[in-house]
Amino acid sequence: MRDDREYRSHYTFAMDFGTSDFKFGPITLGEAPRIVNNRGYFPDKDSVMYKAFESTSDVIVGDEVPLYLQSAEELSSRLVYPMRNGVIDKSDDQAWRVVSSLTSFSLDAFKPGNNGFEGYYVVASLSSVSPRYMYEKLMDIFKTIHHGKVRAITVIPQPFAVAIGHGVTTCVVIESGHGNSQICPISKYPVRAAQVALNRGGGDANAITSEILKDTGYGDLANEEAVVRKVKENIGLVPADLDSAIQETKKSPRKVRATYKVPGTRVEIDLDKESWTRFLIGEYVFNPKHEIFESYFGRGMPRPKDVKMGDTVFKGMLDFGEAIIASVERCPVELQQMLYREILLSGGNFSWTVPPKLQEIAVDSPTKIRMLLRERGIKNVSVMMTDSPQFSVWHGCIIYGFAVPENYEWDWQRLEGWMKLSN
Amino acid sequence: MGARQSEEERKAGLSFVIGTEKVHVVILKAQDLAQRNSIIDTMLNLPSLRSTYQLLYLAVPRLLGATIDSATFRSHGIGLLLFDERRIDEAVTPQTARPGIVEMTTRTQEATIAAELATLKSMYSQMEKDFAQLREDLRRMSASEIGSERVPTSLVAPQEPAFAHSVGERMGLPSYFSNNPWLDVLSKRGRTENDLIAG
Repeated sequence: MRDDREYRSHYTFAMDFGTSDFKFGPITLGEAPRIVNNRGYFPDKDSVMYKAFESTSDVIVGDEVPLYLQSAEELSSRLVYPMRNGVIDKSDDQAWRVVSSLTSFSLDAFKPGNNGFEGYYVVASLSSVSPRYMYEKLMDIFKTIHHGKVRAITVIPQPFAVAIGHGVTTCVVIESGHGNSQICPISKYPVRAAQVALNRGGGDANAITSEILKDTGYGDLANEEAVVRKVKENIGLVPADLDSAIQETKKSPRKVRATYKVPGTRVEIDLDKESWTRFLIGEYVFNPKHEIFESYFGRGMPRPKDVKMGDTVFKGMLDFGEAIIASVERCPVELQQMLYREILLSGGNFSWTVPPKLQEIAVDSPTKIRMLLRERGIKNVSVMMTDSPQFSVWHGCIIYGFAVPENYEWDWQRLEGWMKLSN
Repeated sequence: MGARQSEEERKAGLSFVIGTEKVHVVILKAQDLAQRNSIIDTMLNLPSLRSTYQLLYLAVPRLLGATIDSATFRSHGIGLLLFDERRIDEAVTPQTARPGIVEMTTRTQEATIAAELATLKSMYSQMEKDFAQLREDLRRMSASEIGSERVPTSLVAPQEPAFAHSVGERMGLPSYFSNNPWLDVLSKRGRTENDLIAG
């Protein structure tokens, strides 16, 4: 009889289906997974490239995708990002085919020899707002493609994986990506009934940056998503207090002056006297209700709305402080104090820096969250970024796959456990 | 040499008797070299034959001669023969093993181990009884505290990981396994519903 832990120290496999990237690989990769874009390309089978590479695949995934990309006009129909918002529509056949292809691709990339290999223990992670049918579809994909490569499969929510990877058993994980943000209390299990989702993410910060560029004479750049994102990352700031920051900037505009040169071009952005607007970018992420944003909404910038996706209602205008309190207060009272003591921030939308000269008026994400909670009477909180924001989900999946006993079987009520595929 | 082939069960190789000494030659043929598992299997089985045969040889094709460290064979008392189509040469002379003493030592060790196992078993049974008694005492104490006092935070707080640190280090697992309390929490999944505080 094989030693289970010894076996799993070699054959645990994790898959993190992020909004932009697909991170995957076995435990033997150590600290970092392999990463490819979470996307697939449906090639034109009459194209020269398709014939030249003699590919029989209907969907191209992984590092080969750029080889097949043709004109920009075709990208919108042929290049599919299945999980841009964390949820795939049940009937979105193309998106599901991309997921299936990525799953096959990842297992084929790590084919072990025959030294007692009896299939991987695979842990996949999805957004915490994924409805039940996404779990069902993903399990069906594995049942179809595994061919002895998978011994058992399970699916866990990404915030749960973050908590595991970070090594904290009682906490609130706040995951903020491109399209949305999720507040998820964890207490040895995900507290699903207490989850709160926001219809706001990095894409909204891009939207306000775009408006700022239009207002400051850079309208031609405002429509180029890649440029807008770079401008946001380089000049956007989170203010400790927006009104004070604007006043301070107007008093000393040179101190806060925002400039950015687009690499490889002669294009240089200089906000000059309008540099105070760099604080709007960060503030909008954390609190879109400030009255200053009404003028942007009035001019046509979309106001974040409450939307329902799958089984979840995503709130548009809640600030992060209100959202965290709403989530924590759905948990038992005895648990709440412990939850406030461990708030973990995960996701690219929390990666805001503070220039040394502006430490009195600009803050980082953990500080901003603490301030929003203090305004509402919640003190004694501890907020921190995850140690490894890029890989914490994958780390958590690996630990889960290693530790959970095989006889803990999948249960559709609890949405946890192993679904066995091989004997 | 006066050797005669042994009538004993034919293991892979050749067995001889020279006087009172039993000799066995394990042969690794050219076609075996293509099978990595075959080589490993042969090498791993060699020491176990020392208890049966006084003299033990491994015979390998001459082309392997340059790659083999003779000192390893000498230190284990196993002889090494190199052969090709024309001749066989003894590269390492084996040392005579004394199977009788090995068997006696093995039997003594087995008895000692069995005694120690019995001791451990009785200690474990006693520990189980003590633990059950402690659990019962704690339950009685909790039941006697009547009132609406909140459960102290220390009793609800996460427990120290039982084996997180040692498991990670022993098995050479990645750094994020080290001191991770989830290893303990997740290993108990399905064993108790008391873990579930809310969900």
